[in-house]
Amino acid sequence: MLRQPLSRALALTSPTRAAPLAARRFAEQVQARPDNVEVFIDDQPVYVPPGTTVLQAAAQVGVEIPRFCYHERLAVAGNCRMCLVEVEKSPKPVAACAMPVMKGMRVKTNSDLTRKAREGVMEFLLVNHPLDCPICDQGGECDLQDQSMAFGSDKSRFTDIHFSGKRAVEDKDVGPLIKTIMTRCIHCTRCIRFASEVAGVDDFGTTGRGTDMQVGTYVEKMFLSELSGNIIDLCPVGALTSKPYSFAARPWETRRIDSVDVLDPLGSNIVVATRTNEVLRILPRTNEEINEEWLADKSRFACDGLKRQRLVTPMMADSRGNLTPCEWEDAIVAAARALRDCPPDKLVAVSGDLADAESLVALKDLLNKLGSENTCTEQYFPLEGSGIDFRSSYLLNTKIANVEEADFVLLIGTNVRFEAPLLNARIRKAFIHKETDVALVGPKVDLTYDYMHVGDSASIVKDLATGTSAHEVLKRLESAKRPVVILGADQLKTQEGSALLAYTQELALRLQDKLQDKNWKVLNVLQRTASQVAALDIGYKPGVGKVLEAGPKVVYLLGADAGVVTRESLPKDAVVIYQGHHGDVGAQAADIVLPGAAYTEKRATYVNAEGRAQQTLVAVTPPGKAREDWKIIRALSEVVGERLPYDNLDEVRTRMSEISPALVSYGDVQDNNYFAQARALAQSLQKPVSGKLDVQLKTLEDYFMTDSISRASPTMAKCVQAVLKQKQSPY
Amino acid sequence: MLSSLRTGVQGLWRVSARSLQTTSALQHDSLFVHRDTPEDNSSIPFEFSPANQKRIDALLAIYPEGHKRGAMIPLLDLAQRQNGGWLPISAMHKVAEILNLPRMRVYEVATFYTMFIRRPIGKYHVQVCTTTPCWLRGSDAVLKAIVEATGCQVGGNSPCGKFSVSEVECLGACVNAPMVQVNDDYYEDLTVEDTKEIIEKLKKDEKPKPGPRSGRFAAEPLGGLTSLTEEPTGPGYGLQDALKA
Amino acid sequence: MSVAKLLALDKVAKLFNIIKQNGGIRASLYKLYKQEELKDGVLVGEDKFGNKYYENPRYFYSRNRWVEYSEKVHLNYDASQVPAEWYGWLHYKTDLPPHQDPSRPHYKWMAEFTENLSGTTGQYTPYSTTRAKIEPWVPKPKTGA
Repeated sequence: MLRQPLSRALALTSPTRAAPLAARRFAEQVQARPDNVEVFIDDQPVYVPPGTTVLQAAAQVGVEIPRFCYHERLAVAGNCRMCLVEVEKSPKPVAACAMPVMKGMRVKTNSDLTRKAREGVMEFLLVNHPLDCPICDQGGECDLQDQSMAFGSDKSRFTDIHFSGKRAVEDKDVGPLIKTIMTRCIHCTRCIRFASEVAGVDDFGTTGRGTDMQVGTYVEKMFLSELSGNIIDLCPVGALTSKPYSFAARPWETRRIDSVDVLDPLGSNIVVATRTNEVLRILPRTNEEINEEWLADKSRFACDGLKRQRLVTPMMADSRGNLTPCEWEDAIVAAARALRDCPPDKLVAVSGDLADAESLVALKDLLNKLGSENTCTEQYFPLEGSGIDFRSSYLLNTKIANVEEADFVLLIGTNVRFEAPLLNARIRKAFIHKETDVALVGPKVDLTYDYMHVGDSASIVKDLATGTSAHEVLKRLESAKRPVVILGADQLKTQEGSALLAYTQELALRLQDKLQDKNWKVLNVLQRTASQVAALDIGYKPGVGKVLEAGPKVVYLLGADAGVVTRESLPKDAVVIYQGHHGDVGAQAADIVLPGAAYTEKRATYVNAEGRAQQTLVAVTPPGKAREDWKIIRALSEVVGERLPYDNLDEVRTRMSEISPALVSYGDVQDNNYFAQARALAQSLQKPVSGKLDVQLKTLEDYFMTDSISRASPTMAKCVQAVLKQKQSPY
Repeated sequence: MLSSLRTGVQGLWRVSARSLQTTSALQHDSLFVHRDTPEDNSSIPFEFSPANQKRIDALLAIYPEGHKRGAMIPLLDLAQRQNGGWLPISAMHKVAEILNLPRMRVYEVATFYTMFIRRPIGKYHVQVCTTTPCWLRGSDAVLKAIVEATGCQVGGNSPCGKFSVSEVECLGACVNAPMVQVNDDYYEDLTVEDTKEIIEKLKKDEKPKPGPRSGRFAAEPLGGLTSLTEEPTGPGYGLQDALKA
Repeated sequence: MSVAKLLALDKVAKLFNIIKQNGGIRASLYKLYKQEELKDGVLVGEDKFGNKYYENPRYFYSRNRWVEYSEKVHLNYDASQVPAEWYGWLHYKTDLPPHQDPSRPHYKWMAEFTENLSGTTGQYTPYSTTRAKIEPWVPKPKTGA
């Protein structure tokens, strides 16, 4: 919301945290509730609960008070003084962001005193602010610019430039993502509060005092957080700007397309800023139920990977086995011949991390028409017991936003911080604001908050499930009113995966049955990729192990780049068709390459880890000869002779809704049930487990490059280098 | 040059014009970012002495659980005293470790307070007050004498490494102006000769007698009492007779 | 006015003269085929590319100086094959042919004359110095197989 034009910012559309939201509902009824106090904002009465600040009360009647340091998701600092307003019978103007309302308070937000106070504050801020707006990357989306236009004085008294010049502060080096121009800093301390409250990496602070005060890290240190990009959005001036985006474009030149992120399983809402058919940057879009207004660094900065290592033309292996560019016609005909000549039981399709639901449906339909049932995903999930028959077994049933309400969180074999950074931010929020306690079964990792480490042995889960554990965590879980159990899907890959899932289901359901709140869901499985939930919904079989053992003749890789299908694991004469957007592991192993579109280039459906279907929109066109994925499969089906019965996106989506209505109910997520049935089916699988739980992403350098887009991104590579370099530093 | 002439001329009539008048911005003489130096870097170990460990335990006991960070300033002061009057970065790290705080929170406090000195200084830190009362009573001469006697510029260390001189704002001994503070001691009612004598004694590592040099005990009037000279009167003084019981 | 002139026999004589000067009927037909006109004139000079320059004041101004391109280029002649020094004479900037002009400067640094190479393989092709927006993937060549 910070990056919106002032008129939109003034509307204050974004809902605030839980308490003010509730307050707003009350205010609409315009009825004095006994516990609400009546205050007057510019003579308009408003009823708010005690403890509401003047600024929040004013927002409820649509009066916007200018601010720099106040941010609704951060603690109140009250140091910029921009929100000064006149309060009747108060001798001085008061800071609206920090002043709680009192009964009968009369606030004047547009009086002479208020205006004079604002002009004065603005004048002082500008005295030490450089006049480099023309070369500042914040220009056009700068709070200081906007508010000095709206609330500042119309003339300047600043004549001092020949005597002493303005204050100058040296720039800090905080890594390859954030560019600092500290002279522009107005000391709002939003970045400091974000680092300390949300990111949990207490590296920012103010050093010095008075005119020498500066915001920084004191020692030279990279900002080692997976959420660091958000301080760019938070900064109201151009002190913190994006390094990869520096001097690239002005906000009014870019076209902004609402979309959905696919680089982590949460499906954060994003805005893709493009110009001249080029993705310039990605910004978060507010969605209270998923990402609030934050965005993880990989989702934000890996967009330059969309311009490198792209497949721009169909390719076929020549006589020596080298891939050479060819025409669509040749590639499609060759692929169709391979598909048609293949016996159905030897035909396999494998979907990857970034596959969208449309192409998954089209590919499965095509294979089914050819008589093959071998459609599978790269990520494994146990099929024993209820398997993937119940949606509840593989989703985040608690839902991301509800994790805030939890009072005890048990993480099993997952490093949430890097597997789903914004879910971790939610847990941290609960940890800080709601006294939620967290326990972890798995390797010791830094989650940015304190947790009880129960151990890393899988048998602990068994002990907890059977109630035989002597650990304190069991007692805490059983006494919790709203417990949450999150199981990392990576743990299910092993032989013991099904038993681990069964025990986790047992534990979660045992806790859930005892809860007073019958709507509270305890069981959560955190998938690793954006495509997995949709693939399982559509009916893909998780894991490729069994179908590869059968020795397939034709393997159709739909963006499968995780490297689970390799040339070595296939018979020598097998034909590998790769359809995807990046030249990565999959394309290297392929005989025929069909260039597809990345998530910014197609209108496609993705289902996030909670089971919420969302769609991306076309921000740029696919490069070169690349085409939208479902269309490629549709074209292929025609040449194969098994025409798929849909010709446009709407028809594909009608087909999707036949498979599962959840796939097209965009933005919604339904409550899952059938926990008891899944538990009953899992009873027989509760075999002893002995292994150790390990996670793939342990430290920050593991986080940045996990899929074909981020592996192609130079910025992400720089991040890894910078993190490794920072590890050598003593600070 | 023309521009400075112009602003100078403008300055003449600007007094009556609507304008901000500012003095030139004075920058603090120390940096507010850390630079690794051979004397001060994080690889130099810092440990509190056993005696100071006991003091730390006593200090921490004052603060209730959950509010131990209140002990940060006393701890930093202990570290500074133990380290010869200045606070190396490894001492800040040690304090952060003791208080279980992010290092940045300690850096913030250590840079905020000017009495924490984050660069190596001499054994005797001579702080000369040059605020108005001391200045009126001749602090400029005192400062000049100190700079000459120690061979050390204001804000720097002497070549012998024994002295550091800084010019400070009011130290609260205006009645005994001019004054200097050497480490923890105040030397007041100074003349140039007194100052030189103090520095000479310090050079020989003798401790000059702290306090006023004018023969006063404390802050009483220099020429003897001018009021309250007679004995205080007893109870019932000045009471009208009718009320005397 | 003579009878021959009246009967335009002098034109016929001129024609025969032109044919004669151009080396007979066969050579004249070849020249007509090559340059679509047949003229008689005084050979003023020849440049180092083999182009021959003629003048005949009998033709009217602007047609009385012309070039017959070198045999080497056959039909691929082009106005830009006239070197710069002859260009001036051909276009009446000067009446002094270059080989008779002593004041014409010759410097070491003067480049060899080239004809306009546009449309040939030797043409200059500008190339973009900006980086492509999309870097395509280049597959690694397989070794061994």
